[in-house]
Amino acid sequence: MTDSTTVVTGHGANGRDGFRHLVHAEWTKFRTVRGWVAGMAVGVALVVALGLMSAAGSHASCGMGDVETACTLTTGPGGEAVSDRFFFVHRRLDGDGSITVRVDSMTGQIRLPDATPGVRNVVAGVVPWAKAGIMVKDGVREGASYAAVMVTARHGVRMQHDFTEDVAGGPGGVSPGSPRWLRLTRSGGTLTGYESDDGRRWIVVGTARPARLPATVEAGMFVASPGDLTVSRGNLGGASVQVRFTEATAVFDQVRLEGRVEGRTGGTWSHDDVGVAYEPGGRTPHHPGRFTESGGTFTITGVGDVAPSTEGMRIESTLSGQAAGLVAVMVVAVLFVTAEHRRGLFRTTLLAAPRRGRAFAAKTVVIGAVAFAAGLTAAALTVPLGARILRANGNAVLPVSTFTELRVVAGVAALTAAVAVLALACGALVRRGAAAVTVVAGLVVVPHILATASVLPLGVARWLLRLTPAAGFAVQQSVPEYAQVLGYYSPQGGYYPLPPLAGLAVLCGYAALAAVLAAVRMSRADA
Amino acid sequence: MRAAIEVIGLRKRYGPTVALDGMSFTVLPGRVTGFVGPNGAGKSTTMRVILGLDTADEGSALVGGRPYRSLRAPLCQVGALLDAAALQPSRTARNHLLWLAHSQGLGARRVDEVIEQVGLGAVARRRAGGFSLGMRQRLGIAAALLGDPPVLMLDEPVNGLDPVGIVWIRGLLRSLAAEGRAVLVSSHLMSEMQDMADHLVVAGRGRVVADTSVADLIAAASDGRVTLRTTARPEAMEVLARAGARVAVQDRDTLTVSGLEAGRIVALLGANDVPFSEVAAHRASLEEAYMELSRDAVEFRATTPGDGTATS
Amino acid sequence: MRRELRAEWTKTRTAPGTAWLTAAVVVLTAAASAAVAATVSCPAAGCDQDVPRLGLAGIQAGQAAVAVLAVFAVTGEYGTGMIATTFAAMPHRGRVLAAKAAVLTGLTLAAGTVAVLASVLAARLILPGNGFTAANGHPPLSLADGPTLRAAAGTVLQLALIALLSLGIATAVRDSATAAGVVCGLLYVLPLVPHMAADPGWRRLLWQATPANAGLAVQTTTHLDDLPLGPWEGLGVTAAWAAAALLGAWLLVRTRDVRA
Repeated sequence: MTDSTTVVTGHGANGRDGFRHLVHAEWTKFRTVRGWVAGMAVGVALVVALGLMSAAGSHASCGMGDVETACTLTTGPGGEAVSDRFFFVHRRLDGDGSITVRVDSMTGQIRLPDATPGVRNVVAGVVPWAKAGIMVKDGVREGASYAAVMVTARHGVRMQHDFTEDVAGGPGGVSPGSPRWLRLTRSGGTLTGYESDDGRRWIVVGTARPARLPATVEAGMFVASPGDLTVSRGNLGGASVQVRFTEATAVFDQVRLEGRVEGRTGGTWSHDDVGVAYEPGGRTPHHPGRFTESGGTFTITGVGDVAPSTEGMRIESTLSGQAAGLVAVMVVAVLFVTAEHRRGLFRTTLLAAPRRGRAFAAKTVVIGAVAFAAGLTAAALTVPLGARILRANGNAVLPVSTFTELRVVAGVAALTAAVAVLALACGALVRRGAAAVTVVAGLVVVPHILATASVLPLGVARWLLRLTPAAGFAVQQSVPEYAQVLGYYSPQGGYYPLPPLAGLAVLCGYAALAAVLAAVRMSRADA
Repeated sequence: MRAAIEVIGLRKRYGPTVALDGMSFTVLPGRVTGFVGPNGAGKSTTMRVILGLDTADEGSALVGGRPYRSLRAPLCQVGALLDAAALQPSRTARNHLLWLAHSQGLGARRVDEVIEQVGLGAVARRRAGGFSLGMRQRLGIAAALLGDPPVLMLDEPVNGLDPVGIVWIRGLLRSLAAEGRAVLVSSHLMSEMQDMADHLVVAGRGRVVADTSVADLIAAASDGRVTLRTTARPEAMEVLARAGARVAVQDRDTLTVSGLEAGRIVALLGANDVPFSEVAAHRASLEEAYMELSRDAVEFRATTPGDGTATS
Repeated sequence: MRRELRAEWTKTRTAPGTAWLTAAVVVLTAAASAAVAATVSCPAAGCDQDVPRLGLAGIQAGQAAVAVLAVFAVTGEYGTGMIATTFAAMPHRGRVLAAKAAVLTGLTLAAGTVAVLASVLAARLILPGNGFTAANGHPPLSLADGPTLRAAAGTVLQLALIALLSLGIATAVRDSATAAGVVCGLLYVLPLVPHMAADPGWRRLLWQATPANAGLAVQTTTHLDDLPLGPWEGLGVTAAWAAAALLGAWLLVRTRDVRA
């Protein structure tokens, strides 16, 4: 909308055209200074070179003992990496049906760090996420679709399916004297989990529609026990995380399987140690599970976990050069504005565009766009190429969906743009290059580095990544934190305390605030 | 008399651009030497080489017979004003002079003296960043005078000064020269030099085009020409041509005559009854003399519209 | 050299940024140290923390102010063109650089000492409240303790060396934003590079070579055997970087034309 008092700029250009011209002018200004263009190129090159170099230097092989194999990942129905190791006692179920059991007890043992070297230090106990319950699964193949309802050691009853989904039921575990009944009912593609304290009054825990559950499934009892996690301080700062062997043993009885069950009368239960690894030689299973049955009472011992896996490298680990690249972008963005103040060119700019807020807005648009393009180029090259190099070097890289990969790449571009705008605004506010660069580096790069290099305690590190502009780095996290998996979810491991877009929003908030302050200061101060 | 500044065969290039191409001249004490030439003639580069800020590829520059960078207390040998805006804006005028004084082993008293001398006493404790161009120019001159040096070198000192300031600086430089100091003043405006300099070094394209006194330069450029105003132009031309003069028509009633003195022209015209209203010996301005000299040396000359488009 | 020193001191003294930045060194270091001390805790079972290092963690913030102070000492003059006046007044450019370095070192040592004393005091007051008690094997921080004194003194020296490193870099690049970018890269980004190396030998070597990693070895008082370098050797790495930067700056400033 225009009114009769439209300010005529230049040759009668209207407001929008006027702004377009300003942006064009700022773009011309930017691209004609060789140092600035080179600075941006250096930023991109740092990200790509450092990223690919660190990817190229990262080799891995898996295997047991002296036998090396390539590291492979088991993937679940959603394509994500999963851990699928448990002891399964099952029968084939065709079509709809249900399975009901009573879980009477859960015990186990945990291996602790050796007190005397070479002597196993094993204590009795169960880890919080030790699981015992019932499951229907698309066969016994690792990574196959499933739904299960279970009792855990510390997290009550849960209904889980397809590795990533988890619904909480009633609290409390099982102990001798207070057993827990569980039931899983299939009706078409929908499974419903129930729990009961007495086998009569049933409470729905949840329903699930697993992604690919065929008509014929394996239904039965399972036990799993994830490794015990200990975190200790590393040598060069940092934490080292150790996962130690545990196993859980559960006692089931009152097992009732309804529906078209293969070999209904006199049929036997099959058992599989799903996902078990073998010692070199391929005969002896490593930490095997086991089961015994007597008079309808099943005692099952399982090792491992049925859950998403976060063991492996992330695609964003290829962005190790990002901090360096951002510093280069900051320097350029700061120079873009302070060079004008120093050389008195700013007066010329104001003569050409007397409405200062708009002149600054045009500058913001240009530096933001340039930085976005630089960030996009850097990430779009580094992330896919780096991941490819990592995989070629035998590393297990956690697979993510195309959408997530695009979000990471575009997120890095947005992060770079926001940092550039923040730097530009700080440059306009402080007007001294060194101070502006240091302030922005201190706001963005330093908190991130302090938080992720784990020189700081975990709590401080997390708060830094919530409150400072460094929160924006969350946008590059490709693998989420899973509540149902005990892990060391630290910034060092690539887990940010805020969700990706929320983190980016914090950074953008800082950038916007700084830009507004800069525009205000610019329109008030003498040039 | 020992030269205060000797510039001997300086050559310097920046990539493909030749900044100095055998620049040589001397500056003597007791007079103001103007260093003139168009923009890009190499004046500032020469001054920076004299001050040891830039290094010449060839040749040398000596101050009092020594290279500048070997001087113990250089500001007591040479006072220089290069770029008056080259100040840290947050420092006060007095503090700016104070660190310079300390660098020469001088004390605060000398600082206060020169501040009064240049008329900045009232603003000495104000931030130099808030100074007008004229005040900065005075502060720069105070810095140049700080060490009471026998040689002064000022690059474009009247830039940004108001008329009062220009008269002040002219008087100051003349009095400094009268005290026996050597004063070298650069400018790209010849007219400024007319009343200020005794001697001129004219630079063009990195070398000296003329090294002469102001009086000689004007005389050479005037070349004995006489301006004649007359209503009877054809008759006058005929009479004068017969007497052997070269006559050029300037406009409808004005002629420029060369080859004859003014007195002789008056006599000839009187004898032949040719009416005239004015006969004046033409005295070239320094500006004209300079234009004459630097015609070949001007590197960037504005092209007038129509140049070179008349034919083809 | 005395004149150069006196002139540079006057110059530094009369630049209003000096007072602010010197104060910032103290405040940032002490505040960040106190913040870290306030957020760590030691459970009753005891903990494996390097308490002097925790108490001096604020150097991570304070070194930024030191770097800016050093960068401004040079680029303030290049930015305005006043450097020509400086070198016209003091043609021995090496001496000017040395004088700048000396003044800056003195200033940083003074500010760093106050900053470190404040940090130690803050840690001494705050840490016992967070479980760092003598009963847990963590007596209150005291400079009477040899390793603690070494960590504190070493931190002050590290700050001074960072100032010299920054001065050298700023003199070489002459632009304030670029110099700050390079210094920030050295202080905050370069320390990450060793973590990118897969080969333990390389990782160790790169760790030894980066000033922000190796230099802070001087703060370490526990698990000294795990360090790739001894505390003083680590400080020597920073010193070598600072010396190299100053040497490079000296070579450049001697031969280069003074551009405004």
